[in-house]
This record gives sequence, C-alpha cells and structure tokens, in this order.
Amino acid sequence: MAYYQNILTQVQIRPIEAEHGVPVAVDSRWGKPFHSYLMGLIGNAQVGPIYIGYLGALSFACGLIAFEIIGLNMWASVNWDPIQFVRQLPWLALEPPRPQYGLRILPPLNEGGWWLIAGFFLTASILLWWLRLYRRAAALGLGKHVPWAFASAIWLYLVLGFIRPIMMGSWSEAVPFGIFPHLDWTAAFSLRYGNLFYNPFHMLSIVFLYGSTLLFAMHGGTILACSRYGAEREIDQIVDRGTATERAALFWRWTMGFNATMESVHRWAWWFAVLTTLTGGIGILLTGTVVDNWYLWAVKHGVAPSYPQVYGPIVDPSSVAPSVHP
Amino acid sequence: MRTLLAVAGAVAALFLTIAMLGTAGWTRPPMAQQQTGFRGTAMDVIETRANKAAKIEANQAPAPADPAEPGGDKASAVYQNVKVLGDLSADNFNRLMASMTEWVAPEQGCTYCHNTENMADDSLYQKRVARRMLQMVQHINSTWKENHVHEAGVTCYTCHRGQPVPKNIWFENPGPNAGHGVIPRNNGQNVASPQVGLTSLPYGVYAAFYAHKNTPEDAIRVNATSALPETKGKPIQDAEKTFAIMISMAQSLGVNCTFCHNTRSVADWSTSTPNRVAAWHGIRMVRDLNEDYMLPLSETLPPNRHGPLGDVPKMNCATCHNGANKPLNGAHVVETYPELAGPVASADMPAGVPAQPAATPDPAMPAPAPKP
Amino acid sequence: MAMLSFEKKYRVRGGTLVGGDLFDFWVGPFYVGFFGVTTLFFSALGTALIIYGAALGPTWNIWQINIAPPDIKYGLALAPLKEGGLWQIITFCAIGAFSSWALREVEICRKLGIGYHVPFAFAVAIFAYVVLVVVRPFLMGAWGYGFPYGILSHLDWVSNTGYQYLHFHYNPAHMLAVTFFFTTTLALAMHGGLILSATNPAKGETVKSPEHEDTFFRDTIGYSIGTLGIHRLGLFLALSAGFWSAVCIVISGPFWTQGWPEWWGWWLNLPVWR
Repeated sequence: MAYYQNILTQVQIRPIEAEHGVPVAVDSRWGKPFHSYLMGLIGNAQVGPIYIGYLGALSFACGLIAFEIIGLNMWASVNWDPIQFVRQLPWLALEPPRPQYGLRILPPLNEGGWWLIAGFFLTASILLWWLRLYRRAAALGLGKHVPWAFASAIWLYLVLGFIRPIMMGSWSEAVPFGIFPHLDWTAAFSLRYGNLFYNPFHMLSIVFLYGSTLLFAMHGGTILACSRYGAEREIDQIVDRGTATERAALFWRWTMGFNATMESVHRWAWWFAVLTTLTGGIGILLTGTVVDNWYLWAVKHGVAPSYPQVYGPIVDPSSVAPSVHP
Repeated sequence: MRTLLAVAGAVAALFLTIAMLGTAGWTRPPMAQQQTGFRGTAMDVIETRANKAAKIEANQAPAPADPAEPGGDKASAVYQNVKVLGDLSADNFNRLMASMTEWVAPEQGCTYCHNTENMADDSLYQKRVARRMLQMVQHINSTWKENHVHEAGVTCYTCHRGQPVPKNIWFENPGPNAGHGVIPRNNGQNVASPQVGLTSLPYGVYAAFYAHKNTPEDAIRVNATSALPETKGKPIQDAEKTFAIMISMAQSLGVNCTFCHNTRSVADWSTSTPNRVAAWHGIRMVRDLNEDYMLPLSETLPPNRHGPLGDVPKMNCATCHNGANKPLNGAHVVETYPELAGPVASADMPAGVPAQPAATPDPAMPAPAPKP
Repeated sequence: MAMLSFEKKYRVRGGTLVGGDLFDFWVGPFYVGFFGVTTLFFSALGTALIIYGAALGPTWNIWQINIAPPDIKYGLALAPLKEGGLWQIITFCAIGAFSSWALREVEICRKLGIGYHVPFAFAVAIFAYVVLVVVRPFLMGAWGYGFPYGILSHLDWVSNTGYQYLHFHYNPAHMLAVTFFFTTTLALAMHGGLILSATNPAKGETVKSPEHEDTFFRDTIGYSIGTLGIHRLGLFLALSAGFWSAVCIVISGPFWTQGWPEWWGWWLNLPVWR
C-alpha cells in the first residue's frame, strides 16, 4: 500500500541534456546543471543553473558584507579566540546602539555603529533581492505574486529594525543580530510591553502562521493523495479540470461541506502566508508607539479573563510602606 | 572523499547526540506537585520527587548544641575583649563559640579566628569579620524578622554550611575579556553566563540591583503602568536586565517564575502570590546587608578574599537560600540560639576599619537617610 | 441538492470501515458514515458541555470564558464536575470527535480512491493535542497540567508554562518547531505565489507552464523542487512543525525541570573545548 502513497519518487528521470530553462532576453544563467539522487527522491533531481545578474551579484555582496560584519564582531567579543567563538556562537551578538545615542546616524563603531552598518548592508541586500525576484518574474512573463509575498516579509523586517526604532526615537529599540540574543530580545520585548499574547495583531499573526501550516498540510496532503490522478499538474488542472481536481474538491466537500478550487486554494495559501508577517508587523509597530502595556489594554477593553482569588489580597509593598525599610 | 565526509559528519552527529542525551541533565517522572495559582493557569512548581527529596536532604539544619547550664557569670566578666556577646553567661558564650566553629570552620577549628596564645587578641581578620557577622545575624533576626526571615531566623550556618566562605557570593563582574587588548563592546551581555542561568542576558545585574540601599524603588520595574503611552517608558535593555535578575532569583530559590507571578502580567501585584511580597522584602534585605555589613569590610578582608576588581564578597538570594525556597527547609534555627535573635548588640566597628556611622545601623532608627 | 455538476458519478457505495451500508449516505454536501455519527455525537456533547461550563462561570464574554482543568491535587482521578470534571469530559469528547473525524476522512479517501495523506496529517495534529492534554498530564501525574479551554485563558496557560522553565525560547525542540512553522509559511507563500503567478501572468500573456515555474526558481535560487516535490516538502514541513511542538511540550516537565537556558550546559561543557 505504501507504494501508492507516493512518498518518494520511484524512478528518477535523468535527461542527457539538462533543462536550461525558458529562454529570456538577457541570458546570464550560470553553472552547469547536475543531478542529485537525494534531491531526486522528493523533487526534481536537477540542481542549477542560477541566474547571476548584477542585482543578484550586488545583493549577494551586500549580504556577505553584513554577514562578515556580524560574524567578526561576534568573534571580537570573545577576544578573537577561535574555540570560544565556536563554543559561544549561539550566545554572541552584534547589539544595536545604546539608548543614549537615540537616532544618531553613526555612533562609535563599537557602540552600535557596526550594527547600523551591518543593518544597512543587510537591508540593501534584501531590497536588491526583492528587485531581482521582480525582474526574474517579469522576464518570464509571470505574475508578480512571489515578490509581493516577499515584500510582506520585508515589511516585518523593516518594522522591527527600522520603522519602529525611528518612531520610538532610538535605534536601541531594534533587534540585535545573534541567535540567543534575539530570543532574549523577544522575551524582554514581551515583558516590557505587558505580554505580547494580549496584542491582537500578534494573535492574528499566530493564527495565520498556524493557519498557513494547517493549509499546507491540507493542500500538500490532498495533492499527494490525488497524485495518482496527476493532481500535481496544478496549472493544467486549473485551466482544464480533471478527475484529480474533482476528487480533491469532493474530498473536502464531503469532509467539511466546503471546497476550494485548484486555483483558489493557492489564493488562500498566498493570503494566509502574506497576512502572517503583515499583521505581525502591524502588531510590532503599535507596541510602544500606540500601546504601552497590552495586558492593561486588554483589561480596559474587557478581553482579559479574571481568575478567582486563591490568596488574600496582595498589594504592592512599595505602596504600603513608601521608603520605610531598614 | 564524499564518503569520508559523510562518515565524519555522522560520527560527529552521533557524538553530539550521545553527549546531549547523557550530560544535559534530563530527569524523569514521578513528579512532586505544588500548585501556586488557580487551576488551569499553569502556576506550579515543577520538580521531580527525586530532586525534591535530594534538595530537602541537602538543606538539613544541623542539630542545635545542648543548652548551657543557666546562671553563672557573664562572659564579659570572665573573658576579655567580648564586645558583642558580653551579656551572655560564660557557659552560653562557650556554647555559641563551639556552634560557630561547627557552622563556619569545622575543619580549621578555633584557630581559624583565634590566636590560641591569647583568645582575646583581635589580630586575625577572621575574628574581626566574625564579630561583624554576629552583628549582622542579630540585625537580620530582629530588623528583618517580620518581613523576611520570620520565626525561622538565620544562624551562621544558613549561609556558611560548614565553609569559612559561603558557596554563593558575588563580586563585580568584569566580563569575560577583562585584562585583554582592544575590547569590543558586548553590552555586558551576550556570553553564556551562569549567574543568569546560561542565557545571554546581561550578567552584571547583581551590581546593578543588589549593591545599594538607595537603589530607586522602580529600578526593576519596566512595565508601563498605563495601557497607552503617557510618559517615555524604559528601553528594552532595562527589561533584559530585569529578566536577568528574575532568572537569577528563581534559580537561587529553586523555583520558577510562577512561584511569585501570574506571568500574564508579571507586574500586576493583585494576581501575584504572597511569595512575591516576601521576595520584594528579600531584595531590600540583600541591599541593606551588602551596603551596611559587607561593603564596610573592604579594609578588614585581606586582598585574597576580594574579587577581580578588588571589591568585597557580597550576597544575593542564593547566599542564604542555596537553591531552596526556604533556607534549611524552613527550620526555626534561631529558636535555640536566642542570643542571635537580636537586637544588634552595640559594638565598635571591626578593628582596622575607620568608624563609619552610617554603616552601623541603630535598631531603634531603622531608616537611615539615603546617601547622595 | 448541493451537488456539484460532476459530483453524482463519484457518489458510490462502499469504502466504509465500520457499519457497512448503514450510514453510507450524504446530508447536503457532507458525507455521514458511522464516524460522521460519532463525530456529531462527541462534538454536540462537547459543545453543550462547554456552553454549560460557560453558564456556570462568571461571564458570557467570549474572550473571557474559561473551562479550566482540575486542581493538581486531584491527580489522575476524576474531579467534581464544577471543579474540572467538565474539562475532563470535554477533553474526552474532543479526542473522540477528532479521531472520528480522521476516520471519516479515511472512509472518504477510500470512496474517492485517493491516498491517506490528509487523515495522516490530521492524525499528527491530534497526536499533538493528545500529548498536550493526556500524555504530558499523565507523565506529570495530574490532569491539572492540561491547558484550559478559553480564548485568552489558554494564552495565560502558555505564558505561565513557558515561564515555568524561565525562558522557553531556549527549549531546543521549541526552536525546531518554530523554525518549521516559519519555514512552512515561507514555502507556502512561495508555492501559492508561484501557482498564482503562472496562472495569472502579466497582461496580454498566456498562462505559463511548469517549465516557467521551474525556470523561475532555478533563476532565482538555483533549484526548483518541482510540482510534486513542493507538496511533499510542504507536508513534511507542516507535520514536522506539529511533531516538534508536541516534543517541545512533552519534554518540559516530565524530562526537564530546570530553566531551558541551562539545558545548553551540555554544549558548553563538551570535552572538545577543554
């Protein structure tokens, strides 16, 4: 039975001539395509070629500069000890400037200047990559759905590292570069602003994040289940519905009384994914600028539940005995 | 070549997995259960039964010494240079001296503090420190009785546990790169720091929050007190410091955040547990003791007892608590040593220290003016 | 009634796991089957109990309604109805309804002659739920460790459960789960966007082919996983997110009681650093 579940590709096609891709006006494709057995087990075996235009090259260069600045700063923070660099790597960080520097364009390099430079190059890299996606889609005559979805992620990135710090008047509000340090920042951010779980846009963002995962499980599962009828040929099925689409649709109709079409399921998917970062960015942007304590905000609007008292009344000791302590 | 790399990778992964499974310190049920909030709020102490039993075992209070015969001459009449305990009977005085030896220097014995040629001699710094520490114990058991130590009280053993220097003390932290060449800024954070539970949070939080009595009342409080912004709030860096000191407190007491807080709103007192009030006073006690009793010892203690930045050893929650939410399992250790229950017997400052009026608190006036 | 133009020929007998022909019929667009009946039974009972529990509580405010599990002191026993007993019955109903739903999906798969991927995927989600409200409470020794049923109250539970381990972000399985959630969403955006961009091309262009899709991703990132592969990848990522979520919570408590940051001590203390 497992054979029919189509988990792995049974027979890998290895054409003598690898696919070079749909011809485009300016062909800067680079690299000799090769076939990978492992890749071929789940998807296409062919790896490469890649299009290296000036946008891609610039984006890569900017990204590399940012990566190097961050990495060298981390290495410097353990006094250039290579063993400690590896050992402590998850703990190391490049921190944004301290609060006293406000929005100064270039504080001293080791006081956050490097963070601003790294942020500049990383942002440049990301924006150039967006342009590259847009131009590659245009060159192939495709719609621009992928770059616009990417723009939604960039929105969240810019809110965290650029827009919100400017609105708060200090770069110190931005996220540090670092593995554990950015997790510490996230926790401290929630603690500082009275529990982010009470931020309705954070709620929405999580709903869309989980919803996206649910949707991909449903969609991926449906297409694989119907792959014996050719469901993975989605474009063909969209323009000329076949039995795969019909079975896929009926599965959901019989299960939950409603079905998407082969095209509309991808609209659901696109919107859920895009709204994850879109609502997330709004939630971050409102925090500290418009709302200072999400828990108190929720209490004010009758959202926060109240639990029966387990102990007698607990009051703030500093309000009971102001300044009288030994 | 590719095969070799694959094999090397697999071996490294296997090695890491074994190390992770074997040395991380995984536990297993059965669990000890203690609920600290309304059902379903997930306010619980999380502990295995084995760990709880081990903790109780490790924090046993020592048996008190047999009581001394009542009556007899006062110690000040029998011995010379008895400044703090002079009102005790000589028998009672000797009983306490013997207990102190057991509590603080069981291996070294009397000679750790005393010149056996002349027991009244103050030449050993240990004796001068011990005298100051006796005053501190009296101070804790009297001034801090109502708000923090209650009937349990403390003795030397609460912190010392049979060691001349208590296990859990702290010094100013110079950071991991102290004494090296060009130091890039690390914000005093972003290294694996045991004092903040191996997070990359700021590690210098003891100095920031525990060293001074005049620490502002809202130093640890970072939450906005209104739903909408009304004043300029605190930066996220301050929230990281608060998170760091809270992690340190939780670990010192062997509990978690929900022992004191309903974390849906960590700042809200009305949804907190009574433990938070006790902890609040505990923080003030630590500041009080560090400023009035530890910092003045800087001349008395020899350099080898000082920290890397030349500061005296100081205390935090773990100094007494040693990983238990009630030190010595909450045993009423001071009951059998009423002479330690205070109030502070007046005595000169330890020899070798210039007199500092502010550092000798008068029990009758427990609110010294904040220093400028 | 409520039938799609092509639907009639697919509505065939058979494929049921239990009950033979007895419940082998449709109501409107819904297939019923034996498990449809059990789903209805469990969900109706569970929903009614939730409403009853809300009626017992202090509020009808939809955000604040809270059906809490029992106190820890009840251990693994049944609690009084108004002190967590309701939660226990509702949990039982929920598991019954979810499992019935998954088995009903299996029957529908058999009817349509398609693979079992969707019910399997749903089973992973049910597994995660069962780990949360049955396996972990069982290992911890009390049903009271389950999460409360309430829109905001379950968030409070998540918050407190996280802070029971001081800093939950350092939980390695939580890191994996979050990474899988984000990666799934990224892959979903790329896949959804790609299909939409191929079937909704620039003005005046004709609909594009899978060759264009492959070319787009080879041009941009050097590899295109292909039409079948993306669905395998998406399903794998989504199920991994659910699976590691279950792992991250079941190890918190039964197998790890300290702060999660301290877990990383094993890495800091590896013999290779010495």
